[in-house]
Amino acid sequence: MDIDQLRELADLAIEKNLAEIEIEQHGVTVRIRRPEAHVVAAPMAVGPAAHVVAAAGDASAEPVSAYADAHMITSPMVGTFYTAAEPGADPFVQVGDQVTAGQTLCIVEAMKLMNEIAADIDGEVIAVLQENGQPVEYGQELFAVRPS
Amino acid sequence: MIESVLVANRGEIALRVIWACRDLGIRPVAVYSEADRDSLHVSFADEAVCIGPGPVGESYLNMASVIAAAEAMKVDAIHPGYGLLSENAHFAEVCEACGLIFIGPSPEHIRRMGDKAEAKKLMVGCGLPMLPGSPGPISDLGEAEAIAREIGYPVLLKAAAGGGGRGMRVVIRPDEILKAYQTASREAEAAFGSGEMYMEKYLARPRHVEVQLMGDRHGNLIHLGERECSVQRKYQKILEETPTVALTDAQREAIWGDAVKGASELAYYSAGTMEFLVDGDGNHYFMEMNTRIQVEHPITEEITLVDLVKEQILVAGGAPLSYEQEDVSFRGHAIECRINAEDPETLAPAPGQITAFNVPKGPGVRVDTAAHEEYFVSPFYDSMIAKVIVHGRDRDEALARMRRSLDLMVIEGIRTNIPLLRKVLDHPGFVAGDYDTHIMDEILPNIGMRG
Repeated sequence: MDIDQLRELADLAIEKNLAEIEIEQHGVTVRIRRPEAHVVAAPMAVGPAAHVVAAAGDASAEPVSAYADAHMITSPMVGTFYTAAEPGADPFVQVGDQVTAGQTLCIVEAMKLMNEIAADIDGEVIAVLQENGQPVEYGQELFAVRPS
Repeated sequence: MIESVLVANRGEIALRVIWACRDLGIRPVAVYSEADRDSLHVSFADEAVCIGPGPVGESYLNMASVIAAAEAMKVDAIHPGYGLLSENAHFAEVCEACGLIFIGPSPEHIRRMGDKAEAKKLMVGCGLPMLPGSPGPISDLGEAEAIAREIGYPVLLKAAAGGGGRGMRVVIRPDEILKAYQTASREAEAAFGSGEMYMEKYLARPRHVEVQLMGDRHGNLIHLGERECSVQRKYQKILEETPTVALTDAQREAIWGDAVKGASELAYYSAGTMEFLVDGDGNHYFMEMNTRIQVEHPITEEITLVDLVKEQILVAGGAPLSYEQEDVSFRGHAIECRINAEDPETLAPAPGQITAFNVPKGPGVRVDTAAHEEYFVSPFYDSMIAKVIVHGRDRDEALARMRRSLDLMVIEGIRTNIPLLRKVLDHPGFVAGDYDTHIMDEILPNIGMRG
């Protein structure tokens, strides 16, 4: 694996907002991890050929150490994650905001229905883990909240 | 042109669809519940989306989740497999409304054939034979006697409002009908709140023979032969074979012809199976139609060399059928055994952790399974964990291969029905090809079925 291939892999990881990308080729394994994407993968490399594995989130994964004390808000459904009520509007919450239980944090849209996802505890939002417009799956981590 | 397919199922059939997708160069996308996180269908799909917790109602049957996953992964089509959402007309409609191709027939086909009474009416209207019986509920004993005289004894009295063997009586001779009618009706009244009765011709030794159909969206429809599925326990098939030895070649042609006639009248497309009961004289009677790919489809694939799942995907993408009727030929004999995780005594499902797993291999052996050496058989889903399929140049060779395969199928850590299946393969009636849907009653006399 040469430097150009590595660079391509890194670009791919950034472009697709992947938390982790692992490639195995001819007995050599390269793993590129982006801590800022805050999603830990369950790598599923299969087969002898080069196989690129993209992580899209894993509800049972270990939390990244910076959020060890945080309460994770996860998606209760499959859909598309939106940070605001509509395009162009201010996001519901930002990092640093204090939130109360029941407060709307985001919308997950499924089949044209907008579902408001609420905080289930009081606390401070310390991380927003998905990007606006990104597909999310059941159990995917959306926010890290430090309980107050 | 379908370029990606979301597989709305799990286990061995999800894998089966993934194999077909890969053969066609189509991107397979899996959905999975939290309980299936480590499943093979998740590993072998190009992408996978978690759609809910273990229980089927919150995951695989959750239409919103499945559709949301399809939209998020930008797939062209959804393959529903069998069971789950495959015969849910509403789901097929939702797929269409969301611009997703549903790999199966139309919602209308699913709805009409899903209503068993409506399906019978439709097929009889096409000239398909049906088991003789009362046209509607019987009003009194006099009418019961008249109808019985007309259709001929023995007859079966059935409660209109119920099932499970209650309110059912077989009447062999005319002098028994009074007592049978009164008792059955009283029993039905007590169990279901209605003493209303229907009558049907009683087949003493019925056999279950079904015909595989495949149609395209250009009006072409062919059959791919029949399968016999008479080895059943509590109406669940556990062993299937093709061709059936219950019918002569002429009778096979007749049953194929009727199946094609009925399906053509519906302008049916995609895979479908028409099920018939066959009596001791080789006459067939329409029972119902299944508007999906079936569990036992591999035995048809083995004798015809047609990949049914691949054909479903091609047809759904708008292609005409890859075969004309004269292109379809049958070679040899194939048998399938369904391996279930179940207690051999109580026959209840027996989930648990598999600790050793060896699948049989060799000439003429195919195993469709999502289980493996570290597989946990979950209590959330049905107990079938593998299908062992053998093919031989004739029935004797297929039987020998199945006996050898079951003997070499080692599954430890859980109990399975392998010993029971092995008994079927040594049952003299089965070996002679002379058996019917009561065969399991003979093999398991202590765990019989009522009615």
